[in-house]
Amino acid sequence: MSAGPATATAPRRARRRFGLASLITGVATAVLLALAFFAIFADWVVPYDPLKQNLIQALQGPSAAHWLGTDDLGRDVLSRLIYGCRIAVIAAAEGTSIAILLGVPLGLFIGYRGGWWDWVVMRVVEAVVSIPGIMVAIVIIALLGAGLHRAMIALGILFSTSFLRLARGVVLAEREEVYVRSARVVGASDGRILLRHIFPNIAPPLIVQVTLTVGAVLLAEAGLSFIGLGVQPPQASWGTMLNTAAAFMDLNWFLAIPPGIAIIVTVLSVNLLGDVLRDSIGRGIAVTARPQAPAAQPAAAGAVSVAGGAAPCTHGKDEVLRVEGLHVMVSGRDGAEVPVITDLSLGIARGETLGLVGESGSGKTLTGLAILGLTGATVRTASGSIVLNGRDLRRLPPRQLEKVRGNEVAMVFQDPTTSLNPAFTVGSQIAEVLRTKLGLGAKPAWERAVELIDRVGIPRPAERARAYPHELSGGMAQRIAIARALSCNPSLLIADEPTTALDVTVQQEILDLFRDLQDEFGMAILFVTHDLAVAADICDRISVMYAGEMVEMAGVNALFSDPRHPYTRGLLSAMPHAADRNPPLPTIRGNVPRPGSWPAGCRFSNRCDFYRPGACDRLVPLTGSGRLVRCVRAGEIELRAAS
Amino acid sequence: MLRLILQRLLALVPLLFIVSVLTFSFTSLLPSDPVDLIIGDNGTQEQYELVRERLGMNQPVVVRYFQWLGKAVQGDLGTSFFNSVSVMGAVMQRLPVTLSLTAMSALIAILIGVAAGVAAALRPQSWVDRFATLGATFGQAVPNFWFGLILVAIFAVNLRWFPATGFTPITQSPWEWLRSVILPSIALGTASSAAIARQVRSAMVGVLQQDYIRAARAQGLSARRVIFKHALTNAMVPVVAVLSFQITVLLGGALIVEQVFAINGLGTLAIGAVRQQDIPMLQGLVLVMVGLVVVVQLATDVVYGLLNPKARPS
Repeated sequence: MSAGPATATAPRRARRRFGLASLITGVATAVLLALAFFAIFADWVVPYDPLKQNLIQALQGPSAAHWLGTDDLGRDVLSRLIYGCRIAVIAAAEGTSIAILLGVPLGLFIGYRGGWWDWVVMRVVEAVVSIPGIMVAIVIIALLGAGLHRAMIALGILFSTSFLRLARGVVLAEREEVYVRSARVVGASDGRILLRHIFPNIAPPLIVQVTLTVGAVLLAEAGLSFIGLGVQPPQASWGTMLNTAAAFMDLNWFLAIPPGIAIIVTVLSVNLLGDVLRDSIGRGIAVTARPQAPAAQPAAAGAVSVAGGAAPCTHGKDEVLRVEGLHVMVSGRDGAEVPVITDLSLGIARGETLGLVGESGSGKTLTGLAILGLTGATVRTASGSIVLNGRDLRRLPPRQLEKVRGNEVAMVFQDPTTSLNPAFTVGSQIAEVLRTKLGLGAKPAWERAVELIDRVGIPRPAERARAYPHELSGGMAQRIAIARALSCNPSLLIADEPTTALDVTVQQEILDLFRDLQDEFGMAILFVTHDLAVAADICDRISVMYAGEMVEMAGVNALFSDPRHPYTRGLLSAMPHAADRNPPLPTIRGNVPRPGSWPAGCRFSNRCDFYRPGACDRLVPLTGSGRLVRCVRAGEIELRAAS
Repeated sequence: MLRLILQRLLALVPLLFIVSVLTFSFTSLLPSDPVDLIIGDNGTQEQYELVRERLGMNQPVVVRYFQWLGKAVQGDLGTSFFNSVSVMGAVMQRLPVTLSLTAMSALIAILIGVAAGVAAALRPQSWVDRFATLGATFGQAVPNFWFGLILVAIFAVNLRWFPATGFTPITQSPWEWLRSVILPSIALGTASSAAIARQVRSAMVGVLQQDYIRAARAQGLSARRVIFKHALTNAMVPVVAVLSFQITVLLGGALIVEQVFAINGLGTLAIGAVRQQDIPMLQGLVLVMVGLVVVVQLATDVVYGLLNPKARPS
């Protein structure tokens, strides 16, 4: 149902983007065509001679006779502006061509020859690039003298460095390609190889670089003319016109407007057309690749639901966490909300470990994050209560919830190497929590951090506290993450696949650590995992999640010896046993359906061997007292398993 | 950290050497004979020889280069051909002016750029986000000196909030100094701020999706602490590399923007030196500028190392 609006809006949005892009392209092309037209036909279209002075009518604003007014010598601004188009076109063409003609051959040459030539030229290029561009141009102009063409030679030399590096880079990449080497083997001359085999590969990046350079040359020419080192008065260029304007700012500021707008509109057009060109050339410049909206989120978007009503198998008074009737929705890009967790209820007692088991996409991780209130912007907890130590977290204001996180509940994540901040030492990351959450001073916090690092079984803790995350192994980093999570002695620890990213041998050590720490600190653990063997090892009870709801909950022994739900049975039979390695693993056919495409009745019905039309197509409640199961045929399956 | 600085410093020696060779040989190619320039049209042959001797022009180029370099290393960049002031003195006199503009515009660019980039990353598609994107597009097309003219027209000529021209040294009056550099710095820094904002935005969007951000929130650290300490520290790592480039651009831009505000800095000195073919002055200017760029690069390298432990030599 969410697919309907999504596919309907996608083309519309694409059309709108396409419309805007082609509008921009059209306007930019029109601007550049107009520029070319004025450059060629300036002599015919100008209303006045751009050099004709009329001192009586100096510094006038726009009028019928002079549409854009007159300058300090009474010259017509519009006419000068139009002649400026010609200068701009000449400047852009000259500067860019010189840059290409100097840079590309030299870059090809040094890239192909390599060795000494390459080294010297590249050091010179580095030196030139380290000087501000305008200073390089100024020095070259000192050598050549001022004036349009000389200034353009200067800019050409300046910008040739980027063409040189580009050409060299392409050659270095292509030189070792098979077809180039084979051409060399058959005896093609160096010149021929460069021309026939390597040069064609330069064209696409070259075009991109040209579009970037044209805009830069136009701006640099205007700048040089403005400071009097480019086009020389009385010749009209946009830069010299701005030079005049600067001198008469207090008398007629309007003088600055026409040439400024002309420069901006021209450069903007060149740059925008360049963007379009770059996109169409592609070549790995991924401007067109848009994120696929719906695909990303649903990875975490399975759902966990422990059916409402029944909540019998909890310990009552010792309970640390009680989740009741939790509903979580995810909003797609089109704004429609899809349920990802429905009617989930569970409880964990002090010192107890509850496993949350299921395939990826069943909503396990999201349950953990929903308890913390950290599901992110696109995910919303719609209803239900999350009672931790007697307080409903969903009713707490954000500030209060922030206090609860860390102090009463903490989380350990799947990948320890990414869940620690790479910019800070691990000790400081633990100490930071102690300082901000418990108000410890810097020194006591650090000492306590070292103690904690020692407690999680890391040798030489004082030294390791000063290490950065990238300097630690995965197992050690996870110990640090656990130490940080336990730093404020929380009553609930949410562990999200904490051993999945680790080596098998390290896995066991971490599980032992969890058990030890639970004995010592007595916290409740919500242990999220897809690995039943791990769950069997550490959990007291296990909740099996499927497509956003809980399908079965039982004590660990009961669940393994006597699974009631067909999905649980499937999971157990998919579990490898050390004893019988040879028979192929039976797997559950199909995949967890994505949120929004769950079957109407039992969500497992489309993958279930025991599916019975009618009975399984109605909403299935979670039933039982000591243990819970969500299957209308649970009784029969139990019989069949026994027989 | 000291090791990182030393390592970087050593790497800069060849660069500075090549720049000095380039500058010296380039300026030695100048078409006009400096001796003619100095003695003028009425000089006698004797005067000519005398000046030539004084400038050391009858020595071979290589000898002259090493003499020049030897003095340059000691801070003596020679004497202007024109008014026989010391080049170092002239440059040092103008340096605070150009540095004021560059530093203030860099400050504006970084503050606005980082703030806008973070705001845009926290709320994609919001008005800050769109404004930063639009600003970056325009920033590449609007000449900074023209923007300066417009600022003068509005804030100096019409509103009279700031002086239209001139520069007050900070030692004379910090308040007047601020008033005199604020418009040129805005003219110079705005385009850079948009470019930096875009960099910060994309880096920040990436970092905010990292596990360690979620882990820090799960640990109950405040949103502000997580965004500005944990996320921004990591997001700035790629941005710092861009900063050093942007500051070089600002230094070059300052030379031109100075002219808009009639500020007597290195730009004015350079333009005068070009017009007068003042070789020692040009040589000195280039060397000092490269020196500044090198200092900026060194500083950004150090900041990069501070932000990114993986970049530190162990």
